[in-house]
Amino acid sequence: MTTFWDIVHLLTGTPLIPVAIMGLTWGILGGALPGISASITMALVLPFTYTMDPAMAIALLACVYIGAEYGGSIPAILIRTPGTNSSAATVIDGYELNRQGRAGEALGISLMSGVVGSLFGLAMLVLLTEPLSWLALAFTPPSYFGLGILGLSVIASMTGGSLVKGLAAAVIGLMIATVGTDPISGVTRFTFDVPDLLNGVEPVLVMVGLFALTELMSQSGSVSLTQLKESVRIRLPGLAMMNRLKRSQIIGCILGLFEGLTPGGGGSIAAFMSYNEARRWSKTPEKFGKGSEEGVAAPEAANNTVASTALIPLLSFGIPSSNSTAVLLGGLLMHGLLPGPRLFEQNPQVIDSLYVGSFVAIIAQIGVGMLLLPAAVWLVNRPRPYRAGFIFALILSGIYTLNTSTFDLGIALALGVVGYLMRRTGFPFLPMILGVVLGHMVESSYRRSLVLSGGDMMVFLQDPICVGLLLAATGFVVFSLTRELRDGRRARAEQARNHKTHGQEAHG
Amino acid sequence: MNKDAWSGVALLAVAGIYYWATGAIPDSTLEDEVGAVGLPHVLALVLALLGLILLVRGVLAARSEAATAPEDEERDARLPRALGFLALGAAYVLLLPYVGYLLGVALLIGAVALYEGAPRNWTLPAAALGGAVLYWAVFVKLLGVNQPVGTLFQGLFS
Repeated sequence: MTTFWDIVHLLTGTPLIPVAIMGLTWGILGGALPGISASITMALVLPFTYTMDPAMAIALLACVYIGAEYGGSIPAILIRTPGTNSSAATVIDGYELNRQGRAGEALGISLMSGVVGSLFGLAMLVLLTEPLSWLALAFTPPSYFGLGILGLSVIASMTGGSLVKGLAAAVIGLMIATVGTDPISGVTRFTFDVPDLLNGVEPVLVMVGLFALTELMSQSGSVSLTQLKESVRIRLPGLAMMNRLKRSQIIGCILGLFEGLTPGGGGSIAAFMSYNEARRWSKTPEKFGKGSEEGVAAPEAANNTVASTALIPLLSFGIPSSNSTAVLLGGLLMHGLLPGPRLFEQNPQVIDSLYVGSFVAIIAQIGVGMLLLPAAVWLVNRPRPYRAGFIFALILSGIYTLNTSTFDLGIALALGVVGYLMRRTGFPFLPMILGVVLGHMVESSYRRSLVLSGGDMMVFLQDPICVGLLLAATGFVVFSLTRELRDGRRARAEQARNHKTHGQEAHG
Repeated sequence: MNKDAWSGVALLAVAGIYYWATGAIPDSTLEDEVGAVGLPHVLALVLALLGLILLVRGVLAARSEAATAPEDEERDARLPRALGFLALGAAYVLLLPYVGYLLGVALLIGAVALYEGAPRNWTLPAAALGGAVLYWAVFVKLLGVNQPVGTLFQGLFS
């Protein structure tokens, strides 16, 4: 049980406050760079956390996530280019407000709505995560197997339109997870007598390779055409305006909570859903799309809520529901922290630091957000060739920090090629990441369960938690597949209708 | 063949190589029922199956598809450029043990900037050297990471 004095100690006896502000700063700057998503911003900083205290490292990553969600709205409002995927909905009315000469106001609404969403999300995180973790005491090897399968079932909703490709990506991730020392017998697998492979391929290398290097490769040769106005300043909304935005912020918070808890939900879906609902419930729906303040508030409240609520399934059950939470999971694993219920039992200081650090970052976001705007604008306006060089050098320097090994650099570069080819051929990344991070848990708990039961497969059906988790996984897969099939049918029907209409027009 | 069909062929190849590599996994006296090769065998088979599905689907779809879309052609043209970008990283990895971190990072930043179209003026070396010093200060001095000194300069710093 965390006491008031524990929190005071965290704030005064540890470097949590500077760590939170550093994470927030990095997140805002990274999120502000078009093409650098929240997950890439987190992946870039991940190798740096290797030498840090685990509690501070996880708090830093969580604060980067919070900062990136706000940072993404800066270019969305100023140059009609979302810095992150989840700020895409902010473009609609944010940019319209900018065109009307109200960019500062739009940025202020985005900042304050983000703070409201983040605070609500954090409250939900604190309230819901701990009760879910009570299941921890009852977890056995079969339960962990069920948990791993539930985590992998997220793949069903992350297939990017092709289930076969999503599954193939997951299998490749699981294959990467088998490299190294076998968890039960201790023999080496796929190491090819290379000592660097004895401990396997670190998930962080996969994440940095797939997210960061692939993005740099994809952007190679492209030209940044738009420059941000350097004179823009944030104008925070007054009480009357905040009162007007209340309804849309509440909508954003509720949908952000729902989508954060849903595997595969994510900030983008929450932002667009809340934009639509805010318009539906608005007293001035006609203003949406023409520079509505509510049209900025709702998606920003939603995507910032998701930045906290997406951590609930991650911390309670070890299930990452988005790319960003997968990177956070990578951070936990890198520090030897087993995500899921045991984290609360064995490392409560990590959880406390994450909660308190997030709170510090959310409050500091108002001041840091205003102070950092000129820096973010300056950074976005740097010539792209230099930006690419600095980011590439940063990535390779960070990877070397992990084990001071050039072999790791080679692995990350190779995974960059794999990621680039996957992107070109439409293979999603998240299933592969899930395979890498959950592969070890699934295999070792499955085999341990069989060793304990003398090879009796019924051991999985005798454990009520395992049965519950497996049923939940099955239900989730069935639900996702049904939705995919339904969406596919709708798309085909729409296509057929369009063909028919075009045919009639041609004949007419 | 379209991209799905090629992807299917690639998956089949990966599955085949992976299955072949399981032959090198040694036996153990601590072996359980599933064994160290159990999961790898299943994974190889599943990937081969998925590859086959993708290959068949790709071949069937290719028959009804029109010629390559302009967007695809544009993306195909960017492949060598992207690989060239990564080759600069590979060159950095190969040179690092010889030239050391400071010079290596300066060369990397300069080369990438040049490759991405930075104008050839004084800004280029200034940015490369400035960036290298900044990163050296952060990684070596602040974080205490033992970045390679480089065999070329070992005598100078040891």
